[in-house]
Amino acid sequence: MTRNVIQLLAAAALLAAPFSPAKAQSECLTYHKFNCDRSRDARFSVNGQSRSALVKVGEETELNIIVYRGQDYRISVCHDSKILGEEVAIRLVEKLRTASDGEDGKRTYSETEKVLWDNTEHEMASEIEFSCTATKRIAVKVNAPGASDRKGKAADLDIGCVGILIEHMPTPGIGF
Amino acid sequence: MHPARIPPLLAILALTACGGDAGPQAEQPSAGLVIGGEEAEVSALYQMPTPNELFGLVRQMAGEGHKRMLNPASHVDKYASLRARAINFGVYATDLVYASSFKLNVEVARYYLTSKKLAQSLGLDNAFSDADFVRLESNLTRGDSLEVISNEAYQRAYERMQQERMGPVLHMVLAGGWLESMHLVMRQIDAFGQSEALVARVAEQKVTLDHLLGMMEETKADPDVAEVYARLSALRSIYDQLEVRRAPHGGASPSGRMVLGEDMTVELTPEKYAELSKAVTDLRNEWIKPEGGTNS
Repeated sequence: MTRNVIQLLAAAALLAAPFSPAKAQSECLTYHKFNCDRSRDARFSVNGQSRSALVKVGEETELNIIVYRGQDYRISVCHDSKILGEEVAIRLVEKLRTASDGEDGKRTYSETEKVLWDNTEHEMASEIEFSCTATKRIAVKVNAPGASDRKGKAADLDIGCVGILIEHMPTPGIGF
Repeated sequence: MHPARIPPLLAILALTACGGDAGPQAEQPSAGLVIGGEEAEVSALYQMPTPNELFGLVRQMAGEGHKRMLNPASHVDKYASLRARAINFGVYATDLVYASSFKLNVEVARYYLTSKKLAQSLGLDNAFSDADFVRLESNLTRGDSLEVISNEAYQRAYERMQQERMGPVLHMVLAGGWLESMHLVMRQIDAFGQSEALVARVAEQKVTLDHLLGMMEETKADPDVAEVYARLSALRSIYDQLEVRRAPHGGASPSGRMVLGEDMTVELTPEKYAELSKAVTDLRNEWIKPEGGTNS
């Protein structure tokens, strides 16, 4: 019996290993480098704020970044569609620190959010290019619905890689 | 044992694996990386831009770089505490990126070695390799290559700190880097002359400071981070006194791409600029001051 239990534990450990979030996370770290397509415009450089992470189906994840005035950016999102679904919802949200004066004359600050772009209004586009005319704090918010054939199955294990590739270039002028 | 009992056991083992107690620290998931799940409370990730992005914008309007603005490399052995080593690694790494952005080639080599030394003391040995230094030496006359090599080293150190769950150290490094960027841009203004465009860049750093402090919320219970957070918050209180004006952007972008969000102007008056400049200088002097001990 004891030997059986040990064998079973060993087998279970082997089976469990591939599901280890630590392993999955380490495999996920460079996901954007190998799975998100670079822009065909060679003037874009990869931005150091690009990042990948494990994302759980149905839970919104956000990557907070800075975009500088005078730069053009391209943000593209790639993901493991087998787990997270064919398309993911993406929003670009500006984060603002706003002041308000209380009745006691004391000023307090809070963070407010303003949606600047939502891919559900743009045919679920997985990339966006834009010019930045003011330095901003942006949260790239991603929400994955999950693959339709996996719904209801082992929901706790429905985590997959999402990569957010950010590219930038100084805003080019047009014409002569 | 009945086969029907295997799945719960598997589940228990899988959960044990999730706990991550057995593996070496480097293989554990970073609290800042895992999204969702009951064990992971952090669902917001923060990234700071690398200094080269700001220097790239500043370089277009600021003329030459000046090596006298950098933290003296000779101080490197005199940062003994973890806080001083972390902050000054951020300072030196930013100096390295500045030197490469402004093509101060001899300083690039000097600050590469200086950054490497502090990186080693923080356990970031692999970020600044001997092979890269050889590569860097052989490219000393090629400014663009130096910039690439310097940025790669900076990025490797940054990613290593994220992967190794070095949150407090990472945040102090970024704090040192942010302050050094401010110092370098403001001193560039001193050297180059008052420039509206450069002052506007300083004013906009309000946004990056808000971002940095938001990032540090996660680790500010750490006593070292708490002190750094408090000092940067004092700087933010100067920024909080500035008027911020927002307006819809008029017209299209020169590149033809969509313009994201509104235009924003932070009104930095000469008086407030002087106050901010003094606060940055005072804090930098305090942070880069050599300590009594030695790390060598």
